[in-house]
Amino acid sequence: MTRQREPDEHLDLRGVRCPANSARALVRLECMDAGQLLEILVDDGEPIAHVPEALDEEGHRVVVQERAEAAWRLLVEVGG
Amino acid sequence: MTPIYLDNASTTQPDPRVLAAMAPYSSEHFGNPAATHAHGRTAARAVERARGILADALAAQPEEIVFCSGGTEANNFAILGTAWAAPAGKRHLVVSAIEHASVLAPCAWLETQGWQVTRLPVDSEGFVDPGDVRRALRPETVLVSVGQANNEIGTLQPIAAIAAICAEQGVPLHSDACQSFTRMPPPPADLIVVNAHKIHGPKGIGALRIRTGLHLEPLLRGGGQESGLRAGTLNTPGIAGLGSAVTLGSTEESIAIAKLRDDLAAMVLDAIPGARLNGPRGNRLCTNLNVCLPGCSGRALVAALDRLGVRASRGSACASGSTRPSHVLTALGLSPQDADSSLRLTLSKWTTTEEIANATAALQEAVRTLRSHP
Repeated sequence: MTRQREPDEHLDLRGVRCPANSARALVRLECMDAGQLLEILVDDGEPIAHVPEALDEEGHRVVVQERAEAAWRLLVEVGG
Repeated sequence: MTPIYLDNASTTQPDPRVLAAMAPYSSEHFGNPAATHAHGRTAARAVERARGILADALAAQPEEIVFCSGGTEANNFAILGTAWAAPAGKRHLVVSAIEHASVLAPCAWLETQGWQVTRLPVDSEGFVDPGDVRRALRPETVLVSVGQANNEIGTLQPIAAIAAICAEQGVPLHSDACQSFTRMPPPPADLIVVNAHKIHGPKGIGALRIRTGLHLEPLLRGGGQESGLRAGTLNTPGIAGLGSAVTLGSTEESIAIAKLRDDLAAMVLDAIPGARLNGPRGNRLCTNLNVCLPGCSGRALVAALDRLGVRASRGSACASGSTRPSHVLTALGLSPQDADSSLRLTLSKWTTTEEIANATAALQEAVRTLRSHP
């Protein structure tokens, strides 16, 4: 079993509506280096449907998407 | 002569760097930041970038920042939004007597709706006594409003002491920081109002910081923007401009402006017989000078200076059409006549030594003319 890499930064977007949540994530990602990992918490519902898609479309890679109690945890690798 | 602009408390000249930061969002990046497609995302990123900058500048969290159309809307939102969200039976506000009209007017309107408003007096330099704040608080008080820097006379209020009293008593503090924003550390208030056009940014954009845990009812409804607190399509170019403008101020700049302002004050008070300083000698906003020039009407002085190439004002631009004496100057104890003979000169980072010398000479000429032909 491959050990999961530790995230370089964390961003809690619970309670932040779409599309401000993805925009805030993208702003944070643009301040990070390619290959680094950002851990993001987003709400269930529209946010988990929207945020991974938006990050993917902007060239980042969602490497983990898993339930974290009532929310979702994403691990996103910064695109080049 | 190139005009000398000394009305920076009214509005400032936009910085070219701000205009450059705004331009893409009025052209190729025109998307609506509420849209989830790529055009929307590009605009939303600009909005969130600016929100982060603003949050840092106000020692706040990004989710505590609500963009709106400027200081007037933000002040109305802070006061009316708090009042409308207050529990039944709590209908009392405390406000300083020298606040901007956009603070005093919503308070006065609430009075017509059955609210009680305590107006705090100020001393002869415009300072609120924190002890008066403590004495004014009641169990039914829902908000205290004291601006960080007065827009007419530049008095820097003892906001930290007032904030401590409010925190101790569990009453939120609202502070209009439009004049002082980026020129000094932000006020330690629960509700902070800022705008862009006082800091070399565009008109039509401002923000309210709402400390987490406070509940305000929105002024504008009809959309989910700004977490449902302020409906309406976000002004992306303005927001980008506000974010850019916030990054441009510095302590060094404020110190340099204060030095020039002090020089201007010394020259004016020395050159013009009978001239008197309005407002404080210390604890004064770096950009502000306000002087009483007996024997001249402020309105005539502004016009005479304008003809001589110097742009100045009598006081708040929001009251420039008013024939009543300034409520700020009369609250200091000035007679209506002296209040009417007062002039506000406000500097910016672009004011030069040569300009203040030329402005003093122009003011001397204007006063001499007006006094000889009253």
